[in-house]
Amino acid sequence: MKMNTTTKKLALRNGNQMTAEGAIKAGCKFFAGYPITPASGIYKGLIDLLPLNNGIAISSPDEISALAYCVGASMRGVKAMTATSGPGWALMIETVQYAMITETPVVICVVQRLGPCTGGATQGAQGDILITEFASSGGYTIPVLYPTNSKECYELTVEAFNWAEKYRTPVVLLTDKEVGMTTESLDYNKLNAPPNANRHVITDHDADYENWKMYGFDSPDMIAKFAPVGGKVKVTATGSAHNAKGYLKKNDPETLATLKHLEDKIQAHRDEMVLVKEDHEKDADTLVISFGITARTMKDAVKKARAQGIKVSSLTIYSMFPIPKKAILKAAKGCKNVIIAEENINGQYRMLLEPLLKDFNIIGINKLGSMITPDEITERIVTL
Amino acid sequence: MNTPELCTYMTQGAVMPFCKGCGHSNILKKMNDALGKLNLNPNDVCLVTDIGCIGLADALFDKVHTVHTTHGRSTGFATGIAVADKVLASSKLKTIVLIGDGGSMIGLLHIVNAALMNVDVTVIVANNFLFGMTGGQTSSLTPEHFNTVTSPFGSMNPSLDICQIADASKAGFIARKTATDKDLTDVISEAIAFKGFSIVEVLELCTEHGTKRNDLKGNMLLKMAEEEGHKIGVIKNSPVRPEFSKKYETDVNSHKGEIKPLKYINPKFIHNLKKPNGIIFSGSAGERVQSTAAMFAEAALMSGLEVTQKNDNPVTQGSGFSLSEVIISPEEINYTGVASADYVIVVSENGLKEIKSQDVFNRLNDRSIFIVDDSLVIENKGLNIISLPLRKYCGGDKAAVGAVDYVIRKFEPFPHEAFKLLLEKRFGEYGKIFKEEYYKL
Ligand SMILES: Cc1ncc(C[n+]2csc(CCOP(=O)(O)OP(=O)(O)O)c2C)c(N)n1
Ligand code: SF4
Ligand SMILES: [Mg+2]
Repeated sequence: MKMNTTTKKLALRNGNQMTAEGAIKAGCKFFAGYPITPASGIYKGLIDLLPLNNGIAISSPDEISALAYCVGASMRGVKAMTATSGPGWALMIETVQYAMITETPVVICVVQRLGPCTGGATQGAQGDILITEFASSGGYTIPVLYPTNSKECYELTVEAFNWAEKYRTPVVLLTDKEVGMTTESLDYNKLNAPPNANRHVITDHDADYENWKMYGFDSPDMIAKFAPVGGKVKVTATGSAHNAKGYLKKNDPETLATLKHLEDKIQAHRDEMVLVKEDHEKDADTLVISFGITARTMKDAVKKARAQGIKVSSLTIYSMFPIPKKAILKAAKGCKNVIIAEENINGQYRMLLEPLLKDFNIIGINKLGSMITPDEITERIVTL
Repeated sequence: MNTPELCTYMTQGAVMPFCKGCGHSNILKKMNDALGKLNLNPNDVCLVTDIGCIGLADALFDKVHTVHTTHGRSTGFATGIAVADKVLASSKLKTIVLIGDGGSMIGLLHIVNAALMNVDVTVIVANNFLFGMTGGQTSSLTPEHFNTVTSPFGSMNPSLDICQIADASKAGFIARKTATDKDLTDVISEAIAFKGFSIVEVLELCTEHGTKRNDLKGNMLLKMAEEEGHKIGVIKNSPVRPEFSKKYETDVNSHKGEIKPLKYINPKFIHNLKKPNGIIFSGSAGERVQSTAAMFAEAALMSGLEVTQKNDNPVTQGSGFSLSEVIISPEEINYTGVASADYVIVVSENGLKEIKSQDVFNRLNDRSIFIVDDSLVIENKGLNIISLPLRKYCGGDKAAVGAVDYVIRKFEPFPHEAFKLLLEKRFGEYGKIFKEEYYKL
């Protein structure tokens, strides 16, 4: 038997394991977890990995605690993450808004399963897109990244930390049971994560210290330097509407401007937050859009349709929110039809794209309880 | 040395935002004095406030770090701050929670868990027996018969003894005081100095909602507590349990060497597969179905193939069916389901039931081969079925192993040597894993 002499560094890993490894690469030092299928693998992964990487992973008595512990740790100045699924996310919604309004970086992995409620613990779904994004009173943008395989789980976890640090915001790494729990072959030498970004920390000898404010800004794109609890610069953090210095104030113009800035800062940076993969075919009439596990199905479906002589393009969306509107319009340009495939009953992402794509014939492919198959997408492409 | 009068953590001339006579003012003054008594560097103090009237306290302290949180969750945030500080940072921080009776009710589990963990957090419960800020409603710490806006005929339930809860949660320092106690400063400073979790419940009156509805005076607080059967004073001061970070050092960090390193796989063999193959493994939980599929996947990877393995089982992992769909392919795999199975391995009745319910009979191609245990009957016509005495020769727990070993031997999707290597690592010498008759199949 001949030996294969490659320089590959191979392993079998699922998305949850690579999310955990991505967190380590990103510099995560704190994890708090509460078990829930299909996200428990991230918890277990970091229980093993963090102590080996000068960090700590702890068990929490519920998901509210899990996220509160993480936000607390991040306020102390360390990168922190938790992981859950739909039912746990529901419990975290108040706390995620606390991270948002206090501009505390934190990453939350939401591994989707079948809902509503307890739903199907061991069944996949992509039905938490709306509840993930629209989880704040006031409707502020929660940045959301969504990988399609274990390699991208690693890479996008690093990106999620980078966004959290750069924009001082909670970021959701959205995955699903199939992406999180399906084991696959992986070549470590092909991992291509961005360099780590770190929050800018204020110190009392910085030139800008005199004018520094906890939540201060001079322009929409400005992100105030971060002050860790326990440092020399006093922290004044609050979940209540506050002025730029962090003091609770009711309805004065500065407080309203500070609230508005929470959204403005994300919008000001949205062009840097675009991650999509376009598979463009010249003169295609149809564009297929998908994400997560269904984006993989889409790839096979497009290949099959092309094998039948049909011209079709595809777009995989990784940066779900802020919605990469320009990239979507660019990919759709010249097409008549846009198919949006997602494993939920109501076409959640499609609903959000409809106003943007009003000049196109929009078709949804949706399913409940099991993965959309390549044939289900190919058939729609071919019969258009 | 700083005296309480000289060292103040509260803003000079701060105006208390509370109603006249509200017990909160006293508690905050005493807490400020306690910090002064300990002469703590303000940068090493973090005041974590809850919601409610008591939660307004953060704005009064302009020297220390203040973190004003959500209703009941203050102890949760404080736990994260304290753990990160002690394990990952300067380890100098004193984290103090200020929470009302209402907050301690909705956030009780955070208090319980902080006590169990023995994190270095001091929780001060400002207990005015009701929700002050929202208009005087009943909380779980409202005493029986106490009149509130939502218990206009007197509260029906006895009040929760949070000190006993803390005791049951193994807290090391527990005290119940009243806001006017002369030694409140001393008790709070003792609690803050305590290495590990400490809790001080301070009984007080809400002048806006409590005293108006009940015939009360400050000096009646002790009697009320007694009537509820609640102890007064320093109930426990026992620093025997190590603080969380010390325990973490001995119980986790010192075991780091025992953590299994991540496993990588060397591609040692060469496959000869031209097209993707889909294999469905179906059997019963506890009979190594998914672990066998994983071994098969690993052997395929050792032979240079791309692999995906998608598992399925009922919610309870140890009963009912167990199923894996594995794809091995010379090219990148996208869709991870087996749309058209090349091999279907069925080794138990549960497994057969499940492939029916997962519509596997409609996910076949003209080359599909079934490897089934000979105890099972598949009635569908026109299938290529290889029926083998797998359970008999391999045992129920290795029937799936035997089946897939058979597939690799007979159809060679990749070298059998790769799989054999893993089998021997797991079960010992290949020729002795199954009964002798198996090897003649
Ligand atoms: C999740 C949530 N539920 C309800 C409220 C409304 N709320 C604000 S203050 C408060 C009561 C606080 O009572 P307590 O903790 O006893 O503090 P006090 O006002 O008596 O000092 C409540 C219920 C809230 N802020 N958040
Ligand atoms: S309502 Fe009650 S608790 Fe609130 S400030 Fe007034 S007296 Fe104090
Ligand atoms: Mg109260």
